[in-house]
Amino acid sequence: MKEQEIVDLLLARDEAGMDALLRHYGPLLRYVIAPILPNTQDQEDCLSEISMRVWERIALYDPARGNWTAWLTALGRNAALNFRRGQNPAFQAEEIPENAPSPGPTPEEEVLVRERRAAVARAVKRLSPKEQTLFYRKYYYQQPVAQIASELSLTERAVEGKLYRIRIKLRKTLGGEGYGKQ
Amino acid sequence: MENSNWDTMNDEQFDALLAGSLPELPPDPIAEAVTPWKQATNRILIGLALTSITLNFLLLQYLLPAIGSVLLLLGFRTLRAENRWFGCCFAATALRTLCFLTFLLLNSTILASLDGIAALTRFLTSLFLLLLFFVCFCLWRGLLALQRKAGLPARAPGAAWLLVWYGLVCVLALLQYQGIVFGLLMAAGYISILLSLRRLAGDLAESGYAIRTTPIRMTDRRLILSLCAALLVGMACGYAFGGTYSMDWTPAEESGNEEVSEVRSHLLELGFPEEVLKDLTEDDILACAGATQVVSDVSELPVNDGRTVTTRTETESGSLVSTDTVYDTKELRVTGVAVKIPGERERWMIFHHFCWTQDPGYWGTESIQLWPTWQNLEEGWSPADELTGRVLCDRDGQTFSTPYTFLGTQNWQQSSPFWGQEARSDPFAAFSFPRKADNRRCYLAYGVWSNAPGWILDSWANYTHQRTWLQYPVRTAMEHRMTNSLAPAGAFVTVQDALQFYPGDTSSLNPHHVSVAGTEEQVSVLPPE
Repeated sequence: MKEQEIVDLLLARDEAGMDALLRHYGPLLRYVIAPILPNTQDQEDCLSEISMRVWERIALYDPARGNWTAWLTALGRNAALNFRRGQNPAFQAEEIPENAPSPGPTPEEEVLVRERRAAVARAVKRLSPKEQTLFYRKYYYQQPVAQIASELSLTERAVEGKLYRIRIKLRKTLGGEGYGKQ
Repeated sequence: MENSNWDTMNDEQFDALLAGSLPELPPDPIAEAVTPWKQATNRILIGLALTSITLNFLLLQYLLPAIGSVLLLLGFRTLRAENRWFGCCFAATALRTLCFLTFLLLNSTILASLDGIAALTRFLTSLFLLLLFFVCFCLWRGLLALQRKAGLPARAPGAAWLLVWYGLVCVLALLQYQGIVFGLLMAAGYISILLSLRRLAGDLAESGYAIRTTPIRMTDRRLILSLCAALLVGMACGYAFGGTYSMDWTPAEESGNEEVSEVRSHLLELGFPEEVLKDLTEDDILACAGATQVVSDVSELPVNDGRTVTTRTETESGSLVSTDTVYDTKELRVTGVAVKIPGERERWMIFHHFCWTQDPGYWGTESIQLWPTWQNLEEGWSPADELTGRVLCDRDGQTFSTPYTFLGTQNWQQSSPFWGQEARSDPFAAFSFPRKADNRRCYLAYGVWSNAPGWILDSWANYTHQRTWLQYPVRTAMEHRMTNSLAPAGAFVTVQDALQFYPGDTSSLNPHHVSVAGTEEQVSVLPPE
């Protein structure tokens, strides 16, 4: 079944869409949430939660903002992060808003977060495509170095070295010429 | 936001801040690229395409399969932990890559033409083919297993058809099919199979997120660089040490045999060229016992490209421009000698002697192809003795000799634009000269019976010399001679010489110098201008 057919079924509130979603995109969602939630039972619980969110929020999917895979992985990632926060007693009081893309910023920091986000986006865009892939795997999908290394046919040491260089580049870009000076 | 915020925070704070400042959605290309499946399947598909394409120009018949083999290796390396079928694909592809690298290395030497190595090459070729079928089978089973794991219907017709396609290719190869119709159909079939596999890979994209990968010890780049380095070093060694025949050089001893000395003296009296006579073996000298006539012919032949000279001649009707190739140096002296041995049935011993008078610049492999007088004049001549001869050179004042690496008859199919496929069978000699030596020379000898008087004695020799090491795949001079025309081509040049005369009519001779036993007569015939 094609992606658009699944979206159409979900929009039509047809439960066959849910079956198709889990059949076709279950592996993708598991792949995204696995690094964040190593426990298999947590992954299954989170997957149920994600499918519920997709069912509820499918109307918010806007292809103009990003493709289906990007939207689904963002939803899965955020749900997994919320799930993890929910398990941590220190965070149980606060839950990331469902429409929030990532955890972290409090309402008071909204403006600052927006500025930072724009600055980071600009800095990341200046990285090479390979570096961007590495960056997103590490910071967005929160994949461990070992997973990144094996999937990109690199050694862990090579990945660590590349991430270190990416970090330096970003610091330079974000911090201007002042970075590194005594 | 102040720059100092980014400057002063430690790595952990910086990472946390980065993680909290990420865009809401990842860019589309990144979201699609973050899968272990896509790159691996792309590599496998491109690898399959490249290893099946044969383009016989610009060395693409070697480059494309080499690149394809490495891509297959890298692709299956990523997938090898997913299921045992992909693991088998990886192992078989690694073995295939090793086989292919061995072929490439052997092609930088002349070893492939040697008997033992030729058997190894045949074994490797068979193994290479079997492994190809094994890889296709395992790919098919691996895709089915992946589909089952993802809960999808297990169907991978493209991979199954790939097996059938390679089977058909083998059948066509066995039938030596050379038509265009089936060729085009097979090409179209292959493209549709690859497209089907590409569609399947796309359908499996989501399931591909479920595949398992394993840590690697060597990055792709390092693996590729290591393979390239091994290939380059191996090929450099191949060109340096595997480009010449291994010859069994031993000091040449002067014969103390009285009978040989007597025959030698008699031949010298008959006018046998002394520089040729001193190179003959005892057996070849004794084969001339009782000689009554010696006919010899000396030619100086160029083994270089010469230089082009353009001359303009003014005539009444205008200017006439002619272009000629002028050879300032002629490096090879060729001496043809025929010795008549009377008896109940007249016999002639024919000698073709080659002596390098100047260094041509490179010593690789050499070959001599004979067109004996009995070959095309069966009514006049028939073979009397086996082909004999040897190779000689001087070093530090000492003469060394060695038998030829190959001395015998070669049978092969010759392609000619005029005559099509033609079965050929000619006597050949193959050898190498040492890179440091002087006065390099060799000769071939054979005997013929005269079947009937009046027939011309017409013996030809084609000497092929390797001019440079730069050729791929490396061929010997003999192999080159069996595949190419007389025109200079690539690393080789062939010069031709003939000993032609009517035994009963010395006035019609081409030879430069004729002497007849029993008379004082010395006939000198100048070569035609």
